[in-house]
Amino acid sequence: MVTKNAHQLGTWPTAKSLAWCGQVFVALTLVWIALNGFEGLYAGVPAAFAAAALGTLYARGQPYPWHPLRWLVFAGFFLLESVKGGTDVAWRALHPALKIEPEFQPYDIELPPGLPTTLLTSLVSLLPGTLSVRLFEHEHVLNVHALTPSAIDSVRRLERMLGWVFGAPRPNP
Amino acid sequence: MSVEEGIALLFLLAGCAFYLAGTIGLLRFPDVFCRLHALTKADNVGLGLVCVGLALLSGQARVASMLLLIWLVGLLAATVSAHLIARHAYERDAPPEHEGPS
Repeated sequence: MVTKNAHQLGTWPTAKSLAWCGQVFVALTLVWIALNGFEGLYAGVPAAFAAAALGTLYARGQPYPWHPLRWLVFAGFFLLESVKGGTDVAWRALHPALKIEPEFQPYDIELPPGLPTTLLTSLVSLLPGTLSVRLFEHEHVLNVHALTPSAIDSVRRLERMLGWVFGAPRPNP
Repeated sequence: MSVEEGIALLFLLAGCAFYLAGTIGLLRFPDVFCRLHALTKADNVGLGLVCVGLALLSGQARVASMLLLIWLVGLLAATVSAHLIARHAYERDAPPEHEGPS
């Protein structure tokens, strides 16, 4: 751990670390504005910068180019899918026949590891009929618990969407 | 009761209905994995609808943005905890020779 941090400290700042730091800084500043409005920015901006710099030094991730319009489309997609997911599971829970055929299904992830795979693993549990259980094979296979056999299609849709948002190569349909 | 309050009330009632459905799913579904489906998804929509209702009642953009953040943090907590519980249950129940999905 010490060696890794020392290596990161020694190579900082690189273009990637500066890009990551900038993205975290902007995100944290937006959170501050959402919580406090534009008042107190004299304290919020230095705090956001300090948090971004410390995060870059000790827990830097892979920066991806930002596509705000794509994120907006993704937010709409996610909102729709999560409402569908909630409605679907509520209907199944209330149905007298309890219409579920639960099973585990392995899913081959084609997204790059890191933030895209983390988001996929996290958001799968909010989609209609799917629950992420465990990542295998160095984050290349996700074990999904599906309430119905066809529910796995929603994971494929989410992966295609995330690939588009992050500018990664699109998975095969 | 104004029109805004009436619409907000509808959102709040719909949110409570989703929470109720999630709790019924928790009681009716057969195992821990199916129960997690009910808790994460139905409660996520329920919390979202309650936040929309409260935002309409407040009528302030700043309160609405804080409620949006609350919903997002709630989503994060729900999905991460569901994944951790599901992984723990899977590792507890799976025999060692079936450690992989295939």
